[in-house]
Amino acid sequence: MDDAGRRIAITGVAGHWGSELAKRLARDSRVEYLAGIDTRQPAVELAGTDFIEADVRSAAISRLLPGTEVDTVVHCGILWYPEPGKPARSLHDYNVIGTLQLLAACERTPTLRRVVLRGSAAIYGCEGAAPLFFTEEMARRMPLRTRFQRDVSELESYFDQFSRRRPEIACCTLRYQPEIGADLDAPLVRYLSLPVVPTQLGFDPRLQLLDSGDATAALEAAVWSPVRGAVNVAPSGAISLSRILRLARRPSVPIPHPMFAPAVERLGARLGAGALVGDATRLLRFGRGVDNRRMRSELGFEPRLDAVGAVRELAAKLESRRVVPSPHPGSWLGRLAGLGP
Amino acid sequence: MSSREPETPGTTFPGDPDALARFLREVRSGIEGGLDPVSATSDAIGALPDTLRDAIDLILRRLRGEYSEDEWGFDEDFAEAVFPLFRFLYEVWWRVEVTGVRNVPAHGRGLLVANHAGSLFPFDASMMTMAVMREHPLPRWPRFMVLDWAFSLPFLSVFMRRVGGVPAGPHNASALLERDELVMVFPEGVKGTGKAFSDRYRLQRFGRGGFVEVALRTRSPIVPVAVVGSEEIYPKIADSPALARAIGAPFVPITPTFPLLGPLGLIPLPSKWRIEFCEPIDLSEHPPEAAEDRGLVLDISERVRETIQGKVYENLVERGSAFI
Repeated sequence: MDDAGRRIAITGVAGHWGSELAKRLARDSRVEYLAGIDTRQPAVELAGTDFIEADVRSAAISRLLPGTEVDTVVHCGILWYPEPGKPARSLHDYNVIGTLQLLAACERTPTLRRVVLRGSAAIYGCEGAAPLFFTEEMARRMPLRTRFQRDVSELESYFDQFSRRRPEIACCTLRYQPEIGADLDAPLVRYLSLPVVPTQLGFDPRLQLLDSGDATAALEAAVWSPVRGAVNVAPSGAISLSRILRLARRPSVPIPHPMFAPAVERLGARLGAGALVGDATRLLRFGRGVDNRRMRSELGFEPRLDAVGAVRELAAKLESRRVVPSPHPGSWLGRLAGLGP
Repeated sequence: MSSREPETPGTTFPGDPDALARFLREVRSGIEGGLDPVSATSDAIGALPDTLRDAIDLILRRLRGEYSEDEWGFDEDFAEAVFPLFRFLYEVWWRVEVTGVRNVPAHGRGLLVANHAGSLFPFDASMMTMAVMREHPLPRWPRFMVLDWAFSLPFLSVFMRRVGGVPAGPHNASALLERDELVMVFPEGVKGTGKAFSDRYRLQRFGRGGFVEVALRTRSPIVPVAVVGSEEIYPKIADSPALARAIGAPFVPITPTFPLLGPLGLIPLPSKWRIEFCEPIDLSEHPPEAAEDRGLVLDISERVRETIQGKVYENLVERGSAFI
């Protein structure tokens, strides 16, 4: 496909990922037309983006999308956790029904050549005995235990059906590991910035947390690359939660795992961090690693930060935001010995 | 800092009370000189002996997260910290004798395949690690495959991962071998650890030969390893299927001391061990696609099993009595 004069539609444009992508694409001269679809206005004005107020969950999207004559649809309307105006009980509607309606609209758009789905690595699940690095063909190998996992699996199967039915359209699913970033208002970031972080007694998960800048850049790379099928989006390497908390100078309180979720909820309610939702509790018990070789070779995207680098950057930004001295022993003992800052 | 005495590097703290006195004197003179306690202490730290400074430095590095931990979760500092305990088991408790350690490749990938025993806690992987680390001219940390179930348990799973364990499975084994690691597998699995004491040193079926497929696909040499002594550490005289079902364990062994003596029953018996690393089996003549050839895979698997079984019998004869 010729890359000049691209016409692109982004769903979920009022969310963080949709609006970040719209900002980047609006600056690109190869983009002729940019449409942003969501139920509410983005918080900031997106210059160069034609905002279409529509609900992907309704059949109206089938009437609106063909009229835009887009060649690419980027579906960022999949929610890992509730957002303002999108409560927890409607996540399933947004994720599954929204994708279904959007695919129906795609069927009716003859100009369409490419669809990018911003999915989740939650499809692999979090298990103690899981492969340490999941590759793309290992989806659904582990039992689907959480509601969110089942949603992701269901919407991916609709998407697979669509890509088989319409082979002329390049369909790409990006399976994201959880993102972190100082600018990101996500439950996991709020959890990591608690002054004292609860952990699950006897567990120390291996995690891959993706820098939010890299997350947007990967999405942009997928818009320009004709890659088909599923691609894991994750930083290289992995890091254990205990080391994350030490790098971020956060003392941890181990809590027996059946009491972990309620404890985080109560602590979060008191400190404004909110509860952990979706499969975050299982993620913080067993962790999850994915293989990112396909992303680097076929998508041609090299993340700026690896798993340790992303955490270091978040730690540095959280540290500069802190107003009270850190209660972590690593900070004051380091000062005592004159070894650290 | 007027009266600094010459330091004697390398002295240990408990054996050198002078160093502590010197350190405290420096802190006091710093505070009297108008410094706050924190800067006084950091100035005086030079008076401490090197070994203590190194230890403090290590602790601080750990606390600040500045340590190496690879993408598999292996933590070399941690493995070195628990090394003395396993060295005691290796040298004193089980008096391990090792032969053929030079058959372990000094660099590059390699698959160590061994018999598996020790019903409550199989120690064979840790003793093989000790053998490679202590006897090999170029020591390296091998990684080992652990029964899946152990990886869903608290504490144990974290411990296993930090010392180099990964959940058993072809993906993890191939991924490690592709990064040129040394990997230990126990193809008997639970059938090996869970067999009765009367069946000791009789090798069980080698699964479906999955380890051969991995070796063929990654073009890794196979080193058969025979371990003798591991069967006597927790002689399994019976098991409790009801309890195993209740906690989801593959089996719960009953030994002469466990659960009769409670936690004391967890102390392994001091049998005498021998570990023999056999000649490596080079598979590079086969192309990676040969992994799909059932006949070849089962052939090689059986050859490895027979090699290990033969060497186990030889070493049993050479060991003589099991405990003395």
